[in-house]
Amino acid sequence: MYEYEPRTASLRGPEAPHGFSERSYLVDIPDRHKPRHGSCGIAGCMNIDGSLISGSRIEKMITTMSERENGLGSGFVAYGLFPDFADEYCMQFLFENEESQALTEETLSEWVYMIKDEKVPTFPQSGMSPPFPLVWRYFVRPKTGTEAYVRTGLSEEDYMVRLVMSVNDSVPGSYCVSSGKDMAVFKGSGYAREIAKFYDISRYKGCMWLSHSRFPTNSPGWWAGSHPISILDWSVCHNGEITSYGVNRKLVEMAGYKCNLLTDSEVVTYLWDLMVRRHRLPVTAAAFAMAPWYYRDIERLPEDERRLANQLRITYKEAFLNGPFSILVGRSDPVTMIALADRKKLRPLVMGESDDGNSVYAASEECAIKSVQYDARIWATRAGNPAVVKVGEGIVRRGTESPFLGAI
Amino acid sequence: MRTDIKVPEKYLPIIDQEACIRCKRCIKSCSYGALEFKDDKVRVKDGCVSCLRCVIDCPTSAITVVERPSSYAPHAVFSPEIRRSIMAQANSGGVLLSSCGANAEYMDIFNDILLDAAQVTNPSIDPLREPVETKTYLGRRPGKVVVDDDGRIDLDASETPIVVMDMPIMIGHISLGSISYNAQAALFRAASELNILAGTGEGGLHNDFYCHSKNLCAEVASGRFGVTSHYLKEVSCVDIKIGQGAKPGHGGHLPGEKVQKLISETRMIPLGTDALSPYPHHDIYSIEDLQQLISVLKESTEYSVPVGVKIAAVHNVGAIASGIVRAGADFLTIDGLRGGTGSAPRVIRDHAGMPIEIAVSAVDQRLQEEGLRDKVTLCASGSIRTAADMIKCIALGADVVGVCTSAMIAMGCTVCQQCHRGACSWGIATQVPELAARLDTEVAAQRVINMFHAWNEELKEIMGAMGIDSVESLVGNRDRLRYIGPNPRIAEILDVKHSGEGWG
Repeated sequence: MYEYEPRTASLRGPEAPHGFSERSYLVDIPDRHKPRHGSCGIAGCMNIDGSLISGSRIEKMITTMSERENGLGSGFVAYGLFPDFADEYCMQFLFENEESQALTEETLSEWVYMIKDEKVPTFPQSGMSPPFPLVWRYFVRPKTGTEAYVRTGLSEEDYMVRLVMSVNDSVPGSYCVSSGKDMAVFKGSGYAREIAKFYDISRYKGCMWLSHSRFPTNSPGWWAGSHPISILDWSVCHNGEITSYGVNRKLVEMAGYKCNLLTDSEVVTYLWDLMVRRHRLPVTAAAFAMAPWYYRDIERLPEDERRLANQLRITYKEAFLNGPFSILVGRSDPVTMIALADRKKLRPLVMGESDDGNSVYAASEECAIKSVQYDARIWATRAGNPAVVKVGEGIVRRGTESPFLGAI
Repeated sequence: MRTDIKVPEKYLPIIDQEACIRCKRCIKSCSYGALEFKDDKVRVKDGCVSCLRCVIDCPTSAITVVERPSSYAPHAVFSPEIRRSIMAQANSGGVLLSSCGANAEYMDIFNDILLDAAQVTNPSIDPLREPVETKTYLGRRPGKVVVDDDGRIDLDASETPIVVMDMPIMIGHISLGSISYNAQAALFRAASELNILAGTGEGGLHNDFYCHSKNLCAEVASGRFGVTSHYLKEVSCVDIKIGQGAKPGHGGHLPGEKVQKLISETRMIPLGTDALSPYPHHDIYSIEDLQQLISVLKESTEYSVPVGVKIAAVHNVGAIASGIVRAGADFLTIDGLRGGTGSAPRVIRDHAGMPIEIAVSAVDQRLQEEGLRDKVTLCASGSIRTAADMIKCIALGADVVGVCTSAMIAMGCTVCQQCHRGACSWGIATQVPELAARLDTEVAAQRVINMFHAWNEELKEIMGAMGIDSVESLVGNRDRLRYIGPNPRIAEILDVKHSGEGWG
């Protein structure tokens, strides 16, 4: 004989005496048992008047979405971080050891003038798995006056890109995680809350923050492969999987970028740099190339826009990011946030705006925005439609307009 | 002195005399004279090629064609095929001709490649519920759009002549001459209906077919048959044929008996003369010369249509392709060694060139290394038999695939490999009016339409399963392929990982 127990009872669990609406018991579940249905989380905040935001705000946003990560990577990027060195490139590195640092510095001395260097303070957390990298920051100015520079025939920015690529590619144990002006990336392998504490994010203040928490699937979780992935002043937090990666990589490699971070997301960063900085495309046109409209929708556009849409699909077909994604993209001069989801909008992306209109937010989930601005006005961008916000200008696009407003 | 020894027959039609109703239809069907009616019975003579026309025509299904058993004593090295060809050569003293693509098993790599599909981390797409796009462009791409000093995109400066197709498929170049009027009419009609391209082949364009010109790619081959500036301006793109996968280094060869009134008018040559295309173009002895011909064709079409170059896949195909793109070709066609032909020396058909799988991947990689891949359209052909081959070929690097033999099969061809004899019992590869009349243009066109429609649906199904909703994201996406064949070195050369290897 056995005692019959209705099966529904076990669904509720012993710690949930108050019924299905009571969720507080979830908080006590150890991380290793947390539901694994999520994927990456992204969050961003900025002040349009350029006033500074403490890192603790973005920390709050990203850690609110803890179900979207599995402890294999997280990161932050801050803009408007170094007003005293705003004209210098800030190269922030992860070194495996002193030897890789010495090798890197040797390379740097050939390419750039060192204005200042400093150790980035780090605080290893008990839950994180060692070894921890050495994090160092260099404020540099490219050696543009030398004959060697002239021989490269490169613009200053391309020269910096080549430096970053060559360090990441050839110096063992050394990874340049950011190389832009007036910004820096703080990232690593761990939960968002651990990475925030590891770098003590709350000690920094910037006019714009983007962040990412990671649930890696097809690529390994490791320090340099965490997001944001950055080149020059571009930084990209990417939630998604690129089914067209082989095609996108072909385009960026032809343009001289090297894909060595073992993650499909890095092509997104290089595509933005290639299309907007080097090809000088308007942001809306670049976004359209990455998440183009369906041909049947393009048919409905007015003549000029239809021609442009078709031309972008023809010319930049290798830039089309197929598969689900939502991305937050940062850039300085002026500090800009771009939020974009794929053309089916298979990954979440919501925007928020404070009552006074000065603070703008973007996140995977509304809860992240509401956790720091409970009265924020929330809206969703449309599939494949970028929201663009600039310091000093405000919300340029809300991600609900026609595709090329202001581009042609 | 008679030197002939009879070459043993290969096929044997078996007549079920009980089922046979003596209607003699089979005897009329057989264009090779392999059947006769004698003593009130259908009897078998020599010469059956297993074209199966009689089998399909027989109203009582009384005919079966079998391969003759044990014609030769078994031998592991001297196969019956080899012995038969030696005997035929000893009889004739000539080069053995054959047709269709290479008949050798060892070259099929498509069957060693597996496709990927989306699971969990990205959603697969159901093409019946959501759009999956197969629109494809052919022509030169600018590499980047032109942005003026105000940051606005200058469309007039960015646009190039381009052909829009609804599927990444082109019906390959099959000339009028190699196939009948009805067969070509069916192919062109199918191309128009499907809004894809069809190649004219090197025989010019018959007056009746100008109505399809917006879906035609004109071929300029070494014989220049039927090439006029009017013709070039009417079609939607122009292709310079340097070589063909079935016979790299050879030109087309149409025997005089096929050059009847229709062909003579279209090709602009006298009745009954052999239409022999020179092996090389005699104005192209180097890449600079090719560049000049490309320029001449662009000038004569007033830069209104893309001008491309078609070559056979040969060992150094990557470097040659890059030279051709640099010489100004807007699109490039690579024809692999299994590609079809209406007539080719068997020795070159079976032994020269390179499989299209390797060639397309090599060219895609080479053009990428040289930063040219985003400027040019790459077409690949040479035994793209099914939708699976098409999908794998696109993922290996082709923008567009060229298909011939499968379209022939859709019209009735059974790949009996006798096209060079001009006696096609299906009315396809023949100029004999009674035989050509056997092909109903409308029926044949509809069958070709049906087949390509099905291929396109299968393409969408596979792309949807991969989580890809537009075909350009499949082009050269070798990440989504895995190799499962016997030789991992091939995987390396294809730049495809081995099955079991993960992403990173």
